[in-house]
Amino acid sequence: MKNFLKIKNLSISVDDKCIIKDLNLNINKGEVHALMGPNGCGKSTLSNVLAGKEGYDITNGKISFSGENLLKFSPNERANKGIFLAFQYPVEIPGVTNINFIKTALESNRQYNGLDPLKPGDFLKLIKEKAELLGISDEYLKRQLNVGFSGGEKKRNEALQLMMLEPSLAILDETDSGLDVDAFKIVADAVNSTRGKKNSMLIITHYQRLLERIQPDIVHVFINGSIIESGGPELAEEIDKNGYERFNNA
Amino acid sequence: MAMKDSTMPNFLNIKNFDKSFDDLSSLSQLREEAFLNLKDIGIPSKKFERWKYNDLKNDIRNIEFSLCKTSIKIKKNKLDKFEINEIDYFKKNKNHYLQPLKYLKDEGVVNLNLSYSNLFKVLTIKKDLKKPIIVDIKSEGHGMSFPRILINIYNNVNAEIQFLNRGGLGFINQITEINIGKNSSVKISRLNESSSIHSETFFSNLGRNSEINLKNLSIPKNKSRFQVFNSFIDEYSSAQFKSVSIPYENSKDDFLVHNNHLSSNCKSDVGMRSILGKETESSFQALIDVENKIKNSRADQDCRAILLDEKASMNAKPEMKIYNNDVICKHGTTIGSLNQDHIFYLNSRGLNKFEAEKILLQGIISEYISEDSPLINFLPEKYK
Repeated sequence: MKNFLKIKNLSISVDDKCIIKDLNLNINKGEVHALMGPNGCGKSTLSNVLAGKEGYDITNGKISFSGENLLKFSPNERANKGIFLAFQYPVEIPGVTNINFIKTALESNRQYNGLDPLKPGDFLKLIKEKAELLGISDEYLKRQLNVGFSGGEKKRNEALQLMMLEPSLAILDETDSGLDVDAFKIVADAVNSTRGKKNSMLIITHYQRLLERIQPDIVHVFINGSIIESGGPELAEEIDKNGYERFNNA
Repeated sequence: MAMKDSTMPNFLNIKNFDKSFDDLSSLSQLREEAFLNLKDIGIPSKKFERWKYNDLKNDIRNIEFSLCKTSIKIKKNKLDKFEINEIDYFKKNKNHYLQPLKYLKDEGVVNLNLSYSNLFKVLTIKKDLKKPIIVDIKSEGHGMSFPRILINIYNNVNAEIQFLNRGGLGFINQITEINIGKNSSVKISRLNESSSIHSETFFSNLGRNSEINLKNLSIPKNKSRFQVFNSFIDEYSSAQFKSVSIPYENSKDDFLVHNNHLSSNCKSDVGMRSILGKETESSFQALIDVENKIKNSRADQDCRAILLDEKASMNAKPEMKIYNNDVICKHGTTIGSLNQDHIFYLNSRGLNKFEAEKILLQGIISEYISEDSPLINFLPEKYK
């Protein structure tokens, strides 16, 4: 599908300060886009707005997703329509067990889309399969959601949710941060395994290393709330070599 | 002699009231002693007692001064053997009748019960229990009732007891007292879902190397207060109190926990989780009391209240009265609404507002009431 996600002339402010300025971005179904930019350029603002977080003032522009006005939907409706945000800093929620949370999320998603809930045995089999790919033990699934998890464990858990929910648009907000070399490979390969013709990805990152394992179709350079240049994977290589200086001066 | 609290004219002279309890006449002297204390202290009110956030005097002002029908049923495993006594126990052990006053001299609500006690159960447990004892306390109709439960646990005994407080439309003023022998441990699950105005004073007296673990689920449909006094009589004893409070709409649920470290090397741990919906009110007062010569104490307090409605309110008052430096203490209180970042995280996975709130509240409850707790069956449907 063309223009699966279409952002047109989007401007966003927080406390009267303009964070995103006149942003245009089109992602077709099956495409992987990378959004690269320095700290504080508005990358996380964009991902939060796509997921529906409150507290952002959309001063101009439109976002359509699968042909519908995304902005009219609540965060849970967006999620159930297929948008998944892998958080840069996943929250810790005491008392809520990881496996119960994922089961509830999957049931909500299936119910919204008119599907019967998975049978308990099928759910257990599925989550164990996915968890094994990520090196996640049964014990870890029974733990409280992200409570006491290391940075790497939290990112693995985000990847597990991504694999279980199978969204049509995954937004990965600095999923590579906080991962050691081995965990990085595991998470990147797990994310890569979800790639297909029916789903798209928007990878938000500072660095090229994630894009070496999850090859993007298009790379965007995002500076001060705007895309100032788009190109192929070679753009990421250039940033890795020379930084953002050329773009800052553009 | 007129009562100090003249706002309670419906409290009769103990002698008149006593006529209705022929069985209790042999305890008249003791009851009269308690009644004189009550006259001196007055009916419980904010002015005279340690409670700062609720005024029982106003709550019970209009309750009819007659007895309502109350029962205490003991359910047990056939294989478990223990003694069950009633009024006869106190007739034979008169020195036990006023024992609560040994630890509390200024509690009007305790004197009120000791004056008018109309229902007694005394359990004496000498051996380990294979299954929990269930103490089911029910009341019916308007009026008042003053049940008293005493549990004596001998040395080297492990026991589990469930208390169920239910029913009623009047005023229940209950005393529960547990004496725990050395090297013994007792696990208690307490449910309060009374429709009456419910006041319960719970004492535990802990022997050497003994332990009490009290889990409480309070879902009152009226006004409730629960006050817990743990006294560490000998060393190496520990007391844990973990409570979940979910009052019904327009209800009030108040707690006071006093851990009295009378011996060295003892531990106390108090935790409160309150979920407060429309027009509900709760309070939590917790005191850690460590005397001068008492060493190596460990005492924790933790209170968390979630306000789900703008007309819900919570008062928390953690207190420490510590006269020895050899103590490790921890206390913390948070009162607020559900964390919006948590809700957004759950929404972003497809859970709607109701589902997100439910899973967060279930998480808070499950900190104290786990899936294997008997109390889980009594949770309101929306939190199961």
